[in-house]
Amino acid sequence: MYEIEAKNVKKSFGELEVLKDVSLNVSKGEVVAILGPSGSGKSTFLRCLIDLETVDNGTISIAGEQLCNEGKYPHNKEKTRILSKAGMVFQHFNLFPHMTIKKNLMCAPMLNRQGSRTELEDMAVEMLKKVGLEDKLDVMPSTLSGGQKQRVAIARALMRNPEIILFDEPTSALDPELTGEVLNVIADLAKEGITMVIVTHEMGFAKEVADKVVFMYEGVVLEENTPEVIFNNPANERTRSFIQSVLK
Amino acid sequence: MDLISWISQMMTGCRLTVELFLVTIILSIPLGLIMTFLYTGKSKVINKILGVYILVMRGTPLLLQIFFVYFGLPFIPKIGQYLVISDRFTAGAIAFILNYAAYFAEIFRGGILSVDKGQYEAAKVLGISDMQTKFKIVMPQMFRISLPAVANETIILLKDTALITTLGLSDLLKVTNNIVNRTTNVSAYAVAAAFYLILSYLLSVLFKKLEKKFAF
Repeated sequence: MYEIEAKNVKKSFGELEVLKDVSLNVSKGEVVAILGPSGSGKSTFLRCLIDLETVDNGTISIAGEQLCNEGKYPHNKEKTRILSKAGMVFQHFNLFPHMTIKKNLMCAPMLNRQGSRTELEDMAVEMLKKVGLEDKLDVMPSTLSGGQKQRVAIARALMRNPEIILFDEPTSALDPELTGEVLNVIADLAKEGITMVIVTHEMGFAKEVADKVVFMYEGVVLEENTPEVIFNNPANERTRSFIQSVLK
Repeated sequence: MDLISWISQMMTGCRLTVELFLVTIILSIPLGLIMTFLYTGKSKVINKILGVYILVMRGTPLLLQIFFVYFGLPFIPKIGQYLVISDRFTAGAIAFILNYAAYFAEIFRGGILSVDKGQYEAAKVLGISDMQTKFKIVMPQMFRISLPAVANETIILLKDTALITTLGLSDLLKVTNNIVNRTTNVSAYAVAAAFYLILSYLLSVLFKKLEKKFAF
């Protein structure tokens, strides 16, 4: 039983076939890094896993339940329920700019009546502690640095008690000196047993934290293996040249 | 002295001006909001109707619309007899409200369009429903983004109220005109200008405060 199971996922935007036939299995607690040149479909694939894109065909299961079966989806309520165990962190953070940090964290669980106000407040403080920002409870997002914003976004995703978190290039919009603080937080989460799929360009991070590295190219998975094999001895020529070009 | 009696007469005219202004603002903003939300909905028929409505309201002079509501509506065949608005203030206010609602609808629509797509995506992956996303995430940001344009439109409205003079109502401009006609002293216009200026100054101060309050 896999935590995330994607089978023969296909997705086109108009004429452009972005995902040609992508399959991927992720076990519970596993950390998977997806690498690949831009335009390879890695972000689109990630977005399909959490219903931000609708697949044209293929089957996706999340935490043991089918999000879609050969391109057919259940109704909205059911999708929301299935995805309640999954969270996502975006490249551009997407914090709600008109809310304080605390409200950013509490907004969704309050609306979904996930607990009482005091319970959720305590939880918000706890999650902010986890990302080292408990002193930022009452400030607005615009006062934070990029790295801090992304850590808040991670804390906000954690408010759902997710079993799965998807990261879409979580450090790509950050200044180089700020990527470390975010990657450290993600690495800590990896140790807590949360299943993670990370689309990233941080090779060092993928090498250290990932249990499995997936290399995508032009809408297909060319190769998946342990970081050691992918980085040191990839089977595919394209993987090799990509790794070489980014490690240079 | 002349000036004091002018000012006291203008105050009564000013009252009508402010009344028309307030009635228009209070009713056209919610009406514009409703239109915006209908517009961002999925119904193509409603979008077409609203599109035509906004085209007409923005594409024809407000003065013409005022005349049409007061003088023109009763002459529409069959239904005209039910559309006689004998109160000139009401007729004028209806034209103002319908006209300004169209502008506000466009301003708010622009505000919604400038809310980042990522906000909807973040809301979705957090399990926030579409309706809640509209009201809790998009609308507050739309208001903030629209505020400068709303301020602009509001100040234009304040000055546009002078068009009601054409229905023979004693607003600030009409009263001033009467004074000038009676006394042949055109400096009354300067006093009226001061009235409008003070009012629009107060409005811009108010909106500056609002912008600060809702800054993020």
